[in-house]
Amino acid sequence: MNERRTAWFLVAALAGQLLMLSIQAPAAEDGGGSNFLESSMLRGVAPLTRGVSSLMESVRGFGDDWKGREEMAAENQALRQRVEEMELEVMRLSELETEVERLAEAMDYSRASGRGLRVADVVYADHSSWFRTLLLYVGERPASLNQPVISDDGLVGRVVEVVPHYAKVQLITDRAAAVGAMIRRTRRQGVVRSGPRGLELAFLPQQADVRVGDRVVTSGIDGIYPRGLPVGIVTSVERGQELFYDITLEPAVDFGVLDQLYLLEDTTPGPAGGGGGDAPPADGSGDGARNGAAGGAADSAAGSAGGDSADGSADSAADSSGARP
Amino acid sequence: MPVIPLLRFAAALLTVILLHALGVWLVPEFARSIDLFLVLTVIYALGGDTMVGLLVGLVAGLTNDVLTGSLFALHGFVDTLVGYGMARLAQRLVIDRVSGAFLVTGVASALQQVLLAGLVLLLLPQPELPEPVWIAIRAAGTGMAAAAVLLASRNLRTNLAERRQRKAQRLHLD
Repeated sequence: MNERRTAWFLVAALAGQLLMLSIQAPAAEDGGGSNFLESSMLRGVAPLTRGVSSLMESVRGFGDDWKGREEMAAENQALRQRVEEMELEVMRLSELETEVERLAEAMDYSRASGRGLRVADVVYADHSSWFRTLLLYVGERPASLNQPVISDDGLVGRVVEVVPHYAKVQLITDRAAAVGAMIRRTRRQGVVRSGPRGLELAFLPQQADVRVGDRVVTSGIDGIYPRGLPVGIVTSVERGQELFYDITLEPAVDFGVLDQLYLLEDTTPGPAGGGGGDAPPADGSGDGARNGAAGGAADSAAGSAGGDSADGSADSAADSSGARP
Repeated sequence: MPVIPLLRFAAALLTVILLHALGVWLVPEFARSIDLFLVLTVIYALGGDTMVGLLVGLVAGLTNDVLTGSLFALHGFVDTLVGYGMARLAQRLVIDRVSGAFLVTGVASALQQVLLAGLVLLLLPQPELPEPVWIAIRAAGTGMAAAAVLLASRNLRTNLAERRQRKAQRLHLD
């Protein structure tokens, strides 16, 4: 009798979970359907992972502190000097910005979007296992669903689950993720997704001009990620069986070393996280003036990936076409 | 509902979460190689109580789901089945040796991954499946972790019993 009751309980538990899974499955491409049980459990588990992360950070910090006080002092000195230089640069750029704004105003030119950055700490990152996950501590102000997440090097993913202080991120390397992207050199658009060979750029017709080493950035057509965020570099181009190329990418971001990320915030009025506006520029230098304060801040975050200045400057010009009059 | 076993389970689950988070922090491949949530499920299931096996599997699996990026309840579903199955197995088979625990947990881990792959194939349009070599590594890693936990708990129990016995003898002499 007891075993029979257990068997019924088993059936009920399995049926309940299967129902939950089948409800989420169709929404998986959109980041999955969040539910109360998951949110509640995430609320309990996330602080524990943050505790471990903080503990390990402080242990590491203590070790580093113990080992290299002198090194750190020298580094601190150098950094102070760098900050001073950068402050001067910021002053120069803000002057330029004011000038550009004045000119834009005179020409009745309006910016497509404003984007700000918010720092978030990675409290749990499992990028290697079958199911990849990233948990962020976002602080008092909650993140919003579908909010893009970037690192210093480029695009990381988007927020798919939000609880107070924490956010769960779907990485672009997740099989359910898809990113509207384009070849930066030619502006040819495709979709970046994760495949058996790693990150792939799909739906690029065989007539397209694409080469190994081409940089791939977001195109902004998906309505989630703004245009111009570095996604990866083309590592192989093969003729596919259908009309399209088989293109593999090396991600711009090293997912193994993420510890601090940035939530890309829409500073223009309207719903957060959505819209296909312009990204903070991917180009390394000289864009601060053009993109204003938000763009300038993002320059330092997402800019370092766009190293090739020659093609970068050409693309900068093309990028600016996104800001419509 | 017995309070002490419940508290003991909560403490064990908390330890598993902390160890898992620590493992992932220290070794990036940790979650790929060892499933501590399954170790907890199998160790409880080896007690032979099917209700305990499935409940522990359910809770441990759902907790694992919170820490994974895929569908919620995927691990919950599979670990519930595995917990129940292992408890049924333990009713028919006495698993006393550490090597037995290693084998059973290893098989449970392989079974869990195959079931997960099946579910993912059914539910997602473009699923990613684990490589066979990683299935084997994870099965071996999880099996070893279960064997280590069993060995440690047995040693601890023996030590405690000996200490208690020594204490009792001393009292007797006084």
